[in-house]
Amino acid sequence: MNMKITILNGDMSNGTSDLSIYIGNLARQLKENHSVDVFPLHKMNLHYCSGCWSCWWKTPGQCAKHDEAEPIFRSVINSDFIIFASPLMAGFTSSALKKTTDRLIVLLHPYIKLKNGESHHRKRYDHYPNFGLLLQRELGTDEEDIQIVNTIYDRFALNFHNERKYTRFIEFTNADEIIYEITGNTAIH
Amino acid sequence: MKLVIFNGSPRYKKSNSALLTEQFLKGYNRFCPEPVPVYYLANYKQREAAAEIFKQAETVLLIFPLYTDCMPGIVKEFFENIAGESYSPAKKVGVIVQSGFPESIHAEGLERYLKKLVLRLNCEYLGTMIKGGVEGIQSMPPSMTRKLYGKFQVLGEYFAQNNSFEPGITEKFRKPYRFSRTYIVIFTLLSKTGITNFYWNGQLKKNGAFEKRFARPYLD
Repeated sequence: MNMKITILNGDMSNGTSDLSIYIGNLARQLKENHSVDVFPLHKMNLHYCSGCWSCWWKTPGQCAKHDEAEPIFRSVINSDFIIFASPLMAGFTSSALKKTTDRLIVLLHPYIKLKNGESHHRKRYDHYPNFGLLLQRELGTDEEDIQIVNTIYDRFALNFHNERKYTRFIEFTNADEIIYEITGNTAIH
Repeated sequence: MKLVIFNGSPRYKKSNSALLTEQFLKGYNRFCPEPVPVYYLANYKQREAAAEIFKQAETVLLIFPLYTDCMPGIVKEFFENIAGESYSPAKKVGVIVQSGFPESIHAEGLERYLKKLVLRLNCEYLGTMIKGGVEGIQSMPPSMTRKLYGKFQVLGEYFAQNNSFEPGITEKFRKPYRFSRTYIVIFTLLSKTGITNFYWNGQLKKNGAFEKRFARPYLD
């Protein structure tokens, strides 16, 4: 079955890093059977979320920033699966990826509901695609770093009504395994 | 102790982080009258200079809002700029994280990250203070913010004398970790009346956007 997959590439280099080469190869293979959008975030004109909340109470569901983020919002919310790809930098995913995930609050509704005794914003859309983390290690990456990254992205998933399906490292995982995991783990909406 | 504060709020000077910093410094300056420089990461020039200022500082306090249960992207950029160098172990770094949601569980992963980051930088970690339920303080009358601001002044006084966060207030600020069963029952009942959306609806109506509140503009 044809799937729609969004890859947010948080590589901070000029696109010639091992991570970007890996993603290029992965996207090529995925495109044989699926529809794939790849966003090289660092090369795009993307502003930081300024916490203006226009998307919640002025132009509901629509971001006030005039930059290149809109195609990302469209792709993410209409996807069957998202890959958050990034090198680890200072123990976490890159600022290019973080600023993009900050902007995804545009996809949520301001109303609050309680889940497991915690406040969360309600869904604006019916379906929020699950995601996988595709990471590149940095010097000194240890098990604790990986647990911390997973914890924070699991919290992201709680807020975004979706699920982190896996965390993989380009050093240890070939593209075939990633493709298999996407296809095997994703419910088509 | 030469203290430097970095404000990591994308809202710049109109941020809740700025208001809380102001109160903290009121208390701090009662014991250390020397002016404390505050740098705003939302300002491009100050963000560019921030890594060098961090390098020179003896004690650093970083204050920012929680964004998707983590630091805002702008703060992450700052972390990338200061990483990769080993600083003097005498440099002390503390963090204040404030959020709109009242429960501190939202910051649990971030707190672990910040501790690890400071150790990675080879600096002394002064801890992370987490304060939820802060959104809206800008529009609250003084009677509603007096207690909170008073506590931030006490935190500042204590920090000036001890170079650390006052443990009693730090502990209190962390509560609730999660909501109690009683709160959940009350919230659930109130949500059926629509009263829990009162604040949001008021803002939506003020902006003439109420009718479009369920819009899904990015759906194909």
